[in-house]
Amino acid sequence: MKSLHNAQFVLAQQTDSDAIFTLLQQEFALYETDHTRLKRHYLDSFDWRMYRRNYVCTWHETASKRTKSRDGIFFIHDKKTGSSICELPLNSVPRFSKDVNHQTYRKLLDDVLGIRALMTVAVLTVKRKQLLILNEEHKTLVLLQVEHYAIQKPSDSKQPAGRLIVCPVRGYEKVFKRVMQLITGQLKLPRVHETLLDEVLAITGQAPDSGKSAVNCGLKRSFNTWEAERILLQQLFGVMQINEPGLREAIDTEFLHDYRVAVRRVRSMLGQIKHVLPDNLLTYFKREFSWLGSVTTPTRDLDMYLLKFDGYVQSLPKELQQHLEKFRLFLQRHWKIEHARLCRVLDSKRYRKLAGEWQKLLTNVDMPLLEEPSQQGQAQEIVNAAKPASIVARQRIWKLYKRILKEGGSITPQSHDEDLHELRKSCKKFRYLIEFFQAYYSGKSIKKLLKTLKQLQDNLGDFQDLCVQIGQLNGFAEQMQQEGLADTRTIMAMGVLVEKLNERKMALRAEFGRRFESFTQPENKAAFVEALQVQQLEGVTE
Amino acid sequence: MKIVACYNIKGGIGKTAAAVNLAYLAAHEGARTLVWDLDPQGAASFYFRIKPKVKKGSKGLLTGKKTLEDAIKGTDYSNLDLIPADFSYRNLDLQLDEIKKSDTRIRKLLKPLAGDYDFIFLDCPPSISLVSENTLIAADAVIVPTIPTTLSLRTLDQIVDFCKKLDIDHAKIITFFSMADSRKKLHKQIVENPPQHVRVLNTSIPYASDVERMGVYRQPVPVFAGNSRAAKAYQALWKEIKTILT
Repeated sequence: MKSLHNAQFVLAQQTDSDAIFTLLQQEFALYETDHTRLKRHYLDSFDWRMYRRNYVCTWHETASKRTKSRDGIFFIHDKKTGSSICELPLNSVPRFSKDVNHQTYRKLLDDVLGIRALMTVAVLTVKRKQLLILNEEHKTLVLLQVEHYAIQKPSDSKQPAGRLIVCPVRGYEKVFKRVMQLITGQLKLPRVHETLLDEVLAITGQAPDSGKSAVNCGLKRSFNTWEAERILLQQLFGVMQINEPGLREAIDTEFLHDYRVAVRRVRSMLGQIKHVLPDNLLTYFKREFSWLGSVTTPTRDLDMYLLKFDGYVQSLPKELQQHLEKFRLFLQRHWKIEHARLCRVLDSKRYRKLAGEWQKLLTNVDMPLLEEPSQQGQAQEIVNAAKPASIVARQRIWKLYKRILKEGGSITPQSHDEDLHELRKSCKKFRYLIEFFQAYYSGKSIKKLLKTLKQLQDNLGDFQDLCVQIGQLNGFAEQMQQEGLADTRTIMAMGVLVEKLNERKMALRAEFGRRFESFTQPENKAAFVEALQVQQLEGVTE
Repeated sequence: MKIVACYNIKGGIGKTAAAVNLAYLAAHEGARTLVWDLDPQGAASFYFRIKPKVKKGSKGLLTGKKTLEDAIKGTDYSNLDLIPADFSYRNLDLQLDEIKKSDTRIRKLLKPLAGDYDFIFLDCPPSISLVSENTLIAADAVIVPTIPTTLSLRTLDQIVDFCKKLDIDHAKIITFFSMADSRKKLHKQIVENPPQHVRVLNTSIPYASDVERMGVYRQPVPVFAGNSRAAKAYQALWKEIKTILT
């Protein structure tokens, strides 16, 4: 359905719908509706995926006094042209693409949002009056909407200016043109320069920021290791903090995922960039962040099962598919328990202490450099803190690279699954360090290496996930029986699922060799050596 | 995109009313919907208050001088467009006969609209002609409103035979009882014992003044009489058809 571009004008205070009515009635037959009030929820994901792809997503709620009912309509508009792409009756705010019961629109949302949820980013009360331009058959030829807005935030005194929206009707473009001439020529209303959403966001002080969960290093070459590490750890702590509310509210699974990635990166930094913090601090933080990683794992594992659940069902023969539903219920029930447990952890004294101590460390610019080391041993503990970050990081990255080559090279078809897991962990640490300190290396060579590294990591990651899932599924089946949730057919369906996962695991294992070979290709290695300027590294030889 | 043809050889049996109301209900649910009023009498165009006029007429559409897209008009309802009727459609048969692959022309014309619409309803003229042949071939479902009378059932048989001759999939033919009057014994008997050789939907559209009043209000029934028996029947009918189509 071709969507037409509407035209929007700013309403000056003295201009009201009466003036527009008076002007247009000289040429056209008009029909004016009563004022209606609607609540407009602007929706987007946490990282503004719709906005960034030039879509404006809204859900309108109109209350009918007569029928005492509430109706909702979900819209997607083109941000640039204002034209409507989707208009769909929906009784509640959709959260995920699957909540939209229209194939085309669901696919559009799925492509843009992926697994992220839509959240309300602003709420606007709209007071609207409509003017219809009619022909002699009383058919609407052009629709005009006079709208006044109030942002639903009590503290905001400033409100967006009212707007006149002129909507063409397909096949009646001539009338639309004439109306536009009258409005611009006679009323001299100025055109709007930005979308209403942009205006609302400017007033509420929100910025559609896509990089909320990204670490934007911006390290200077002159930084010593403590300076660089402090900045990076501060950014990672920021990522944890902005994801915490969404994690608690369980808006979508990415909040917990991003939170955990930040925790893992902190652990990587503490573990890999050695001799920067005094041992007592390092031991405390390493232990506590490890604890934080482990307490978030059960919820994440269950998230993964639930995200992949439809795929699990599809992988089974048709006659078994329905029997897996009890397993879904089991997962959902346990997810609730684990999530509640996680929220309690985030409210605990231990977590608050960790957050407080961590903040204290990171806000102290001079730590630990200005501390006078009284003993020789203590000086050794922080020996890298004052050294140039680029050197310390490069040394460590090179060491990790060599470790990956060694670990990966020794893997044979007979190796244990654990060996691949160890390699996976090394790859992760390596990747994090390269990303943290990317400002210090020439871009292209590193990007090429990262591409093959990512392919290797995908293989190792999927393999490890399957190892865990296969192991856990057997445990779940037992647990379900104990909880009285499983019948024979459910257990049978889970057994077939384990078989399917095993097949996939074997295929990934067979694929490993090719991926690792691609990563270790001589040209990749040469490019990496060049990017890292390995020869210049003091004490490092190839 | 699913194409639904509302067809019967007989006139005045609620064909246009079905096309208009079903299309309105589809659009109201959010489906991008188009009605093509192929009947030169232009009743569907009248219900939507759109002039039965297409620039360059039917010949322009068939020869490609005017694309179908240019003829589309927006109705007063969201998600619902119309290609109006035109008096020149009375010659559509002859014009179709003059072009190559004359029986699949309408299907070809509709093809470019596949990405734009979820449903296209064809309000067909009451006849057995090349136009009917085209619409029957183009359609994913042929909806045949049938009055529960002996003569109408005979017409239904003729339509089934006609489709058979054209090698049209029998499963595409879907009928429902229209203008069913529960006070009439014969109507009741036929509704209770529908023909077995063709798919008959469970929902019947009652003989109701609200359907006739569409011509007074020039609106679909659910717009001016949302809680009426007729509106509810159309809703139930659409639900059944939608299930078959999707």
